[in-house]
Amino acid sequence: MIEELRTKARELLTDGTVDCVIGYEIAPRGDVRPVFIYDPAEVDRLVFNSRCDHNLVTYLNRRNKPPKRGAPVPTTGIVVKPCDAKSIQVLLNEHQVDRDKVTIIGVACAGMVDATGAPETRCTHCLQRTPLLYDVLLGDPPESVDAADSFDDIEEFDALPPEERRAFWLRELNRCIRCYACRQACPGCFCDVCESERDDSLWIGIADDIPEKAFFHITRAFHLAGRCVECNACELVCPMGIPLSLLNRKIVEEIEHSMGGFRAGISDEPTPLVTKLTGEEEINEVHK
Amino acid sequence: MNESNTAAQPAFEPKIVAFMCNWCSYAAADSAGVARFKSPPNVLPVRVMCSGRVSPELILKAFMSGADGVMVLGCHIGDCHYDSGNHRTAKRIPLLRNLLIYMGIEPDRLRLDWVSASESPKFAQVTRDFVDDIRKLGPLDAPFRVPRSPVEGAAREEVLHD
Repeated sequence: MIEELRTKARELLTDGTVDCVIGYEIAPRGDVRPVFIYDPAEVDRLVFNSRCDHNLVTYLNRRNKPPKRGAPVPTTGIVVKPCDAKSIQVLLNEHQVDRDKVTIIGVACAGMVDATGAPETRCTHCLQRTPLLYDVLLGDPPESVDAADSFDDIEEFDALPPEERRAFWLRELNRCIRCYACRQACPGCFCDVCESERDDSLWIGIADDIPEKAFFHITRAFHLAGRCVECNACELVCPMGIPLSLLNRKIVEEIEHSMGGFRAGISDEPTPLVTKLTGEEEINEVHK
Repeated sequence: MNESNTAAQPAFEPKIVAFMCNWCSYAAADSAGVARFKSPPNVLPVRVMCSGRVSPELILKAFMSGADGVMVLGCHIGDCHYDSGNHRTAKRIPLLRNLLIYMGIEPDRLRLDWVSASESPKFAQVTRDFVDDIRKLGPLDAPFRVPRSPVEGAAREEVLHD
């Protein structure tokens, strides 16, 4: 499959369909890292394996405008897993990416593993083995899927007493160093000026303190309500190991359960939080 | 300032921030005042053009800055001056409430209600009920807001570092 990937990338770069192919390469220390290939001679750097857990779609947000006035919008080939393809769908729904400027190289995914070789938690909740959106599909999907689309982790956490949940989040969020890596890694966080870094409004104070950290994380999760595709890029990049997926997936669960089974990135529907009530919601009552 | 140290603490008076939409709830609050319906003085009204303007940031900022409770009052569904602004509110606030529950914060500190311009008695009733509820809940837990006094700041440090 890696050979097919390299052949396809070479073809796209040589015939000028794309300026750049974003994929994965083996880093000097043996781990996998994102790579930008501009030269057809370098396509042999591209690889794909079960450690390619980065969501490369976040880089598309940096390639959706002309680099300078009058210049054309760059064209990009991008290697996407099924979860990343949902991210592209979310960006397309929000008119962030021009579909004509992107060539999607979809890869069948058998699930990613972490550094210890164990399957990543998010992949044990994901049934998608081939991307929903692609121009060319490489690889064969595995025949059996060892996963269940459930929210058992969220329900388990929800069953804890409130004091424990509170103590848990205080402990976890207190570790946050506000490096904003979660925001940088997220394909859905594409605002030019992030609310948490605006210096005019001071929505969030600069203090490295619990209220500010809680504010940042609740706000960040809320901005992704109905847009988070559970690619877990935020949690993977967190230097402090904060379980952000517990927060994100809670919102995914809430939205799926209360707003007519909506899941982000499946269709071209926008997040239900910006649309009218359809009458299907279980929330159209006054909350007291 | 030194009231937190005295033995006989004064009764807790909740601070409430109420976001009210210009077209219905703020008008109701106004006419509740004109009609002299009794409503508690703990409520700090913030007029917004539409309850759909009330983003979670506004609510969290109010909590962070020392509010013990936040009310969001808007037009009834179907009566929005902007056709569907309150539809967003109707989806957003319950989601935020559930998120607060999930994080172990009392969700009753956030209330969404619909008060039309002609419902000034309802406005007075809703604010009275809400202030009573918050009075029962007590002040918002210190870790989630900026400390009000050095004593409270020190107490919070202890909570976080044990």
